[in-house]
Amino acid sequence: MAFRAPGPCPQKTTIMIVIQTEKLSKIYSHDFIDVEYGRIKFNWFRRTVALENLDLEVKEGEIFGLLGPNGAGKSTTIKILMGILFASSGSAKIMGRPLGDKSVKQQIGFLPENPFFYDYLKGEEFLDYYGQLYGLPKSVRRKRIPELFETVGLPAHAPNLPLKGYSKGMLQRIGVAQAIISDPKIVVLDEPQSGLDPLGRKEIRDIILSLKESGKTVFFSSHILSDAELICDRVAIVNRGRLTAMGELGHLLSPKVKEYEVIASGLSKETVENVRRNAVKFIERENDVLVILPEESQARELLAKIVQEKATLVSLTPRKETLEEYFIREVSKAPGESKTAGVAGVR
Amino acid sequence: MGKILAIALNTFKEAVRNKVLYFLLIFALLIMGFSSVISDLSIAAPEKMVIDLGLGAIDFFGFLISVFVGIYLIYNEMERKTIYTIVSKPIDRQQFILGKYFGLLITVYVNIAIMSIFFFTVLYFREATQPDVVTKAIFKELGPGKFESVGNYYVYHVQAFFIAAGKGIATLFGYWEPITHHLLRVVFMSAMSLAIITAFAILYSTFSTPTLSAVFTFLTFIIGNLCEDILRYADKLAQKAGGVAQLVGPDKMKYWFAMVATHITPNLALLDKFSDAVHGPWDAKTPTIHSVPIDWVVVVYGITYVAGVLSLACLIFNRRNFK
Repeated sequence: MAFRAPGPCPQKTTIMIVIQTEKLSKIYSHDFIDVEYGRIKFNWFRRTVALENLDLEVKEGEIFGLLGPNGAGKSTTIKILMGILFASSGSAKIMGRPLGDKSVKQQIGFLPENPFFYDYLKGEEFLDYYGQLYGLPKSVRRKRIPELFETVGLPAHAPNLPLKGYSKGMLQRIGVAQAIISDPKIVVLDEPQSGLDPLGRKEIRDIILSLKESGKTVFFSSHILSDAELICDRVAIVNRGRLTAMGELGHLLSPKVKEYEVIASGLSKETVENVRRNAVKFIERENDVLVILPEESQARELLAKIVQEKATLVSLTPRKETLEEYFIREVSKAPGESKTAGVAGVR
Repeated sequence: MGKILAIALNTFKEAVRNKVLYFLLIFALLIMGFSSVISDLSIAAPEKMVIDLGLGAIDFFGFLISVFVGIYLIYNEMERKTIYTIVSKPIDRQQFILGKYFGLLITVYVNIAIMSIFFFTVLYFREATQPDVVTKAIFKELGPGKFESVGNYYVYHVQAFFIAAGKGIATLFGYWEPITHHLLRVVFMSAMSLAIITAFAILYSTFSTPTLSAVFTFLTFIIGNLCEDILRYADKLAQKAGGVAQLVGPDKMKYWFAMVATHITPNLALLDKFSDAVHGPWDAKTPTIHSVPIDWVVVVYGITYVAGVLSLACLIFNRRNFK
């Protein structure tokens, strides 16, 4: 399961595809009778399509982000790959072997979304338990566990503290620690940043980057696009169970400058009025103005005025399309409309 | 094997934090303790009452622990989604089921051991504190009607209690006195029966909610214990009608219901040695003659049943999607 790397590179470098899905689908059948809001509801043969013909490819050593709105099928995909759910149709391979293969599972670390761990265990006992599930000998566990506490940045008292005393951020970190206890080649994280504060999100981001540095493939799902944009080598966007787009961020996002953001101080009233008319967005605060202009010529004109009026230029930022804008554009398209454009564009 | 043991020990750690377990254990110990007091109200054979209540408590509370702890073990893993991190590890789902089963069994057996030690202690203490024994121990007869106090009444009781507790623990490891020589075997058979019931609790919890699992396990326990009576009843129905073919209407339904129910559930009555122990023709002075035997065929039957039920549980669990 290998192919030659695309692009002008002359060497015969082969990049392994570590996760591959082909037409992966998951259809949930509902229980015949369900109690919803205190009322009995009959679901005669009701079915929900959670995932439809998903084709994914994750390359070795990359950080791959699976993005999509809530209910898009991100967690379903990850659960199928981790053997928690069985696919209704289609197939998937990890490291070229079918799902459920124990030798492959040995090479995978997994952190589920909003994990709840055995809260009666102390941090050290918890990692020891997971180490045993990986079949690690006692000597290896004894050496590895203190290292892991340090790697994920848990405080010194964490090993002897029961998990019920852990904060959300600490739980997420020990969750990452249990995922990497066996030094796996692939780390799969389901919404690793959900529910964390900005500092916690940054720490998880840093951990993901350090995992990549140590040669691991990181496959994670998220709806925090700004973070995904910062760390992902490639992303896939899923919506309503279908793949909308997949590829490198540089390919997906338009390289063209979309607009110019200028912040200036001390402009004359007349210039401010003129600029306000042309601006896409305009904010005036005391002596400062923030203007977003759609054309380069307009930005140049404003710069000339700043020089002419001896005003101060605080900043000038050319703005390209962000992942968030791309995501919203793709997700709001009608089903089937975007898939061809996005995927064909990157393959 | 190491992975099954890891899961079993974690299950045990989880189970011992369940408050229900302690309520049941304390209640069982209270019943055994009070059985000694209540037995004094009995006109004849007070020992039989103590033994009957003690063995009954061990079996019944062992069963309750198995049900109330067992039905939540797998359900909680799924509800709290801890199962996600387990099945994604390099273990087979059947290893998980076996780990859970042995973890629960360790919990049940530790509780049986505690209850048994307490039960044996009560028996030894009771024997050591019979009025004539106490009198002999704390008074020395100097002559007709003349006694000299050689010991303190309360000190003697405290000493007797500790000696009884020591003997109680030793009994669990094979020590016996005439009053307890056959009881460990009864407890062993009870433990065998609970191994089967625990397997059923695990089986039911792989596909149903805790409430339903509890109901199913209770029904299995009741039908299993009444197996032979139900079969006898079915035979009587058939005899009354002049053969199975002659059965009609509700009687036919009752007959087939009884037959199906008793053939699906294990015959726990085979493992019930209470009546042999309590009401059997045993003589405390000649224990070797009337001891309660361990029927090894029944033990093999039990182990086979456990293997069958756990295989079925693994089969169901292997196909489960965890949403």
